[in-house]
Amino acid sequence: MTMTTTDLTDRSEDVIMEVSNARVSFGMERGRARVLNDVSMDVRRGEILGVMGESGSGKSMFADALLDAVVDPGVLQGELTYYPGDGEPIDLLSLSEEERRRYRWEDVAMVFQGAMSSFNPVRKIRTHFVDTLNAHDYDVDRGLERAKDLLGDLYLDADRVLDSYPHELSGGMKQRILIALSLVLDPEMLVMDEPTAALDLLMQRSIIALIEEIQSKHDLTIVFITHDIPLVAGLADRLAVLYAFEFIELGPADDVLAEPAHPYTRALLRTTPNLETPLEEMRPIEGSSPDPVNIPSGCSYHPRCPMADDQCREVDPEPYRVDDDHIAHCHHWDEAIEEESPVAVGGDDRTPTRAYVGPDGEDAEDPLVSLDDVEVHFEQKSGGLLSRAEPETVAAVDGVDIDIHENDTVVLVGESGCGKTTLGKVAVGAQRPTGGSVSYRGQDVWDAKDMLGGVSIPFEEIRRALQIIHQDPGSSLNSHRRVRAILETPLRRWFPELDGNDRIQRILGMLEYVGISPPEDYIERYPHQLSGGEKQRITLIRSMLMDPELILADEAVSALDVSLRVEMMDLMIELQEQFDTSFLFISHNLSNARYLAEKTGGRIAVMYLGEIVEIGTVDRIINDPQHPYTQALKWATPDLDPDDEIETADSPIRTIDIPDPSNPPSGCRYHTRCAKAREVCRVETPELIEADEGPGHQRAACFRAYDDHAYWNSEPIVEGPSEE
Amino acid sequence: MTADSHDCEPGPDDGESADDDGVGGILRGDGGQVGTPFDTTADVRETRWDRYGRAIDGYIRMPLTIMRQDWRSIVGLSIVAVYLLMGTVLTWTVEPTRTGDGPQFVQPFETWEYPLGTNEMGQDLFAQTVHSTGPVLTMMASGALFTVVMGTFFGLVAGYKGGEVDTVLSSITDVFINIPGLPLVIVLSVLFEPTHPISVGILLAVAAWAGLARAIRSQVLAIRDESFVEAARMMDVPTPELLIKEILPHLMPYIMVNLVNAARTIIFSAVALYYLGVLPFADANWGVMLNQAYHAGAIYRPDATHWLVVPMVAIAGISIGLLLIAQSLDRVFNPRVRARHADTGDAEDGDGTEPGSTEMMKQV
Amino acid sequence: MNWKIRRLGQAVFTVWAVVTISFAMVRLMPGNPVDYFITIVGPDLADPSQAYELAELYLNINPEEPLPVAYVDYMTSTLQGDLGQSMIYNEPVTEVLAGAIPWTLFVMSWAIFLSFAVGISLGAIMAYWEGSKVDVGLTAYATILTSIPFYVLALVMLIYLSYRWSVFPVGGRAAAELEPGFHWVYIKSVVHHAILPVLSMFVASGAASLSMRGNSIRVLGEDYLRVARLCGLSDTTIAVQYVGRNAILPMYTGLMISIGSMFGGAVVLEQIFQYRGMGWYLLNAVNQRDYPLMMGAFMMITIAVVIALLIADLTYGRIDPRAGTEDREAF
Repeated sequence: MTMTTTDLTDRSEDVIMEVSNARVSFGMERGRARVLNDVSMDVRRGEILGVMGESGSGKSMFADALLDAVVDPGVLQGELTYYPGDGEPIDLLSLSEEERRRYRWEDVAMVFQGAMSSFNPVRKIRTHFVDTLNAHDYDVDRGLERAKDLLGDLYLDADRVLDSYPHELSGGMKQRILIALSLVLDPEMLVMDEPTAALDLLMQRSIIALIEEIQSKHDLTIVFITHDIPLVAGLADRLAVLYAFEFIELGPADDVLAEPAHPYTRALLRTTPNLETPLEEMRPIEGSSPDPVNIPSGCSYHPRCPMADDQCREVDPEPYRVDDDHIAHCHHWDEAIEEESPVAVGGDDRTPTRAYVGPDGEDAEDPLVSLDDVEVHFEQKSGGLLSRAEPETVAAVDGVDIDIHENDTVVLVGESGCGKTTLGKVAVGAQRPTGGSVSYRGQDVWDAKDMLGGVSIPFEEIRRALQIIHQDPGSSLNSHRRVRAILETPLRRWFPELDGNDRIQRILGMLEYVGISPPEDYIERYPHQLSGGEKQRITLIRSMLMDPELILADEAVSALDVSLRVEMMDLMIELQEQFDTSFLFISHNLSNARYLAEKTGGRIAVMYLGEIVEIGTVDRIINDPQHPYTQALKWATPDLDPDDEIETADSPIRTIDIPDPSNPPSGCRYHTRCAKAREVCRVETPELIEADEGPGHQRAACFRAYDDHAYWNSEPIVEGPSEE
Repeated sequence: MTADSHDCEPGPDDGESADDDGVGGILRGDGGQVGTPFDTTADVRETRWDRYGRAIDGYIRMPLTIMRQDWRSIVGLSIVAVYLLMGTVLTWTVEPTRTGDGPQFVQPFETWEYPLGTNEMGQDLFAQTVHSTGPVLTMMASGALFTVVMGTFFGLVAGYKGGEVDTVLSSITDVFINIPGLPLVIVLSVLFEPTHPISVGILLAVAAWAGLARAIRSQVLAIRDESFVEAARMMDVPTPELLIKEILPHLMPYIMVNLVNAARTIIFSAVALYYLGVLPFADANWGVMLNQAYHAGAIYRPDATHWLVVPMVAIAGISIGLLLIAQSLDRVFNPRVRARHADTGDAEDGDGTEPGSTEMMKQV
Repeated sequence: MNWKIRRLGQAVFTVWAVVTISFAMVRLMPGNPVDYFITIVGPDLADPSQAYELAELYLNINPEEPLPVAYVDYMTSTLQGDLGQSMIYNEPVTEVLAGAIPWTLFVMSWAIFLSFAVGISLGAIMAYWEGSKVDVGLTAYATILTSIPFYVLALVMLIYLSYRWSVFPVGGRAAAELEPGFHWVYIKSVVHHAILPVLSMFVASGAASLSMRGNSIRVLGEDYLRVARLCGLSDTTIAVQYVGRNAILPMYTGLMISIGSMFGGAVVLEQIFQYRGMGWYLLNAVNQRDYPLMMGAFMMITIAVVIALLIADLTYGRIDPRAGTEDREAF
């Protein structure tokens, strides 16, 4: 069995990069870690190769290896050959320092995910381009012309951008500039390592669309590395799946998505929330990825694989040919492929796991938390006389009304900077609104805090009832305290009658309950000794120990690995049922929002620049969005359908970049990006009005929801599409 | 990063099968029935000794274990221990020296009677050095403590409270940062004429706390926005407790390092002021020795050079000792290092704390 | 730029605070100079009531006036540049000090400039060869240098370089026999006299090099450095424009803090080298209990530091484009 990937693929294809038996390893105290384990791969000229894997699967190592840019102390071995369009093949590992310097960026360039910090903060963007051109002895003037073209193609105002410092630009802009910078020397191949990971949905989707355009315009070969399968589904020609530092499946994108032959790929697809797959078919992957020092023998996936047998435990599967161009490293690929396809397209007969609690109209019970015309304006905080800040008001939240009932679930969706976190914090009393009011069971929260008027519910009680789970499990636990001390804090504060042993017993019970075992071991750990999922469970327990009525979960799963997200969401939903809490979720991801809201029968509220533009039941929001912004979000949410080609032409937004929140547009705030905006949208501000579906089910703030409105007679706003 | 966390697989049953009969099936304890993990109480009482044991383990045993493994702290602690010895045991055993005890200008290391030689008045420099140590250490300790307490208080409160409180406290801090320390202290010493070592220490600290306060403030500003602080606020943890338990531990390395550095600053300025003759002489100390030597012309008299050198070495010695301790203290407060020395979690702490590999893991 | 105005306001506030503190010290504290005139000088005078006039003449404070009035008078005259009359020189304090200021500034600016230039270069070298023998050696050297107070170093240099080996003069601002003026001999003498004080201040470069080393190593781990390397930028560009510039930024704050302590150190140094600058006059005044001169020198030194810090702060924007926006809160 000495077949390699190369043998299996068709040699007649025009290969641009041949990787065989590439291995990256480095020494650790616990042994030698292999973070890329003898992988072989042919990259074909002119294709977009999608490489997907969870974090810790070695995908970034693969990207680094393609440029021979593995960071010390890692050592890259194996054979990597680059075949330029004209000229002799280049053996990467035998290049001299100078040759390698030229190979990088002139032949193969790279885009990283960390665009926020990819530019030298003290130099202008132009200098970055000039430096790069100079370093490779390119003509600077011609190069800058090319750079301007590229920036223009990426919908950036080239002159303004070139004269800016990095801190003056948003993350999305920097990411696009980085793409332009990577192309300025006209390389043949581009390696993109999670280029959109830190970006908003709309920006992500727009960049993906731009990548396709650029690829065809510049005859590029692209290796696109991501953890987000739906993102590459419509983009990639071929897909490769990495698991435990090896490729386990490779094939045309359509085949891999429609008929995955490896159980891991199937499980991964099934655990990826999207807008289409029926909920009952989604399930988490049990277990976690292996440690690079201690990769299981045989098939590295066998400890998590339901089909594993003795053969899997002992024999490392060689590639099996599934199809002409589709290979899988699984002994049982033929059985795996027999199963029902994980990507069911268009499952319409969905029923929510729980029924929608009820409209928040006048006939509803008293709301648990009620926000009335809430406004939060941030003034620049002073901080002594030495502060270097310009005072500036930013309206993070502007006139929002929302009611949250008992056992209710509301998911706030929106791009970063839209004020969803601020609104969430106002709802749980963590942030004082600058206008409007928040009340808990009819008692104004901040009046209770300030002891104003007749306080019917003391602030202490409100404080206990409203809790929060933060986005980043790393920073929500104090790194200097052990799990024991962290979890004892709420008990000490709220249950003074318990002594140390009682507290420990209770904590152990909770830990066991959420599946952290053995709990006795875990309570003595510091947060850095926990995995992301475990940290998030600890924060979940911490807030549950207060026995709260409403929990704000701020992007509580987005920091977790894809395969853990569904599991974590399920746990939260389950705890909600157990303990009769309400949840206010915040998410930038419509798929996750849909999963949460549909499973709990909750509502989705879409926010844009401090305002709620649409709110309603899952069914309505996902299937029949009224507001153009919601429609854009839905467009931007990738699904697993490989035929879903993305073109900038159908983009429902006119500009990619979100307006400056400190200076929001007049009228309807979305009019600057809305493809359906008309002149009237510039001046008049739409109110949230009931859509047809009956009270409470759906409300949208768009003139298009009115049948007779000046809108319909107004002139469309005509500007060049997508110019800033 | 999953690679960091191989050791913690989620349990086999992740509580997913909730709505059925598992733990979830037991009645919720809203009516007094004991059922959910919420309502568990223990059947064994926690003894006072359990608590003390934990405290001793966390605050004494572990720091010592960690420090023992670092040469800098060993050398630094030894140096400081020598000075402490001089300030206590030796002060009681070595006779104080008087004018005319011995001949003029005995050179150091010539006789056992005067190991460090004598000065113009025939005083034994060794005895003088030893008897200087006590007051100097007192001065140092009081000054350093005052600096750190003031700096931490101003920084912590200004940074955490923000708003008006911050404006007032920060403005005071800024004024003190702008006033050059030594001249201020000189003027104050002339007016107050402090003689007791503790008051000298505190006086000197007046000029030293502001820089620390500003640095701590900016660190608190960063920590204040961390989620765990907000979580603690949401749990209604009282502000003093929040500041001390949640925020202060993060500042401790910085504060401790500054405590040690403040001690050095205090000594430096104290000796300088005694040398300049600004502070009134009460007891003998190294600065006074320098001053006397200088005025006796030790600078241009080769036979008197050791009179200057002895106090200089004394100052430089303790300064190096403190510096080494400051450098090694950082490790003591690092939870990653601590966890490795804890009795639990030691075996499976394989998070790759080796410097190279953590870098590497970021790439994976 | 708004914060520049605020920063200016802060400087004004500091000056005001310093003058107020001075007033409090002169008038209110136990054993204050005004009491000194009344209780110590007064009884020796033929007419004890003259003590009040003397106090007003020397200190600008009339003890008979009610406090608020005295305060306003004091503030007004101080801000007009009238710092009172020196008792030992019997000249206005401002005149005594005016001749001293340039000398202090001359020595201090060279000391600050050199110690930072050397510190930054050494730190960069240490970071570049991190872990090598050069690094370990220089780090140890810098650590030890930091442990020794600068005045100890000054004394040692004075003993050996001046008294024993006569390489440098033992003190003073310039050779006494020379006619001051812009001619070569005099300038040479001035430089010759300034070398030892400036060298003593080099101690600070130990600390500066250590922090530069730390900053550089931190910058070396930044993402933009990786991008720059992959882009194939030359080593010089990376070292100077990427590592150097970003590592120096935090040093600037350190520089500001050390301006204050260096001016403070000037008092000691000028005494050791008998260098007649502001510090020397301050100490002279202290030793002879010339309160007006003492307070005047204190205020002058403080104001010099305030101005130096102000300049440093306001020019920070030139090296860091983010200045002015760094506190901006993203929500």
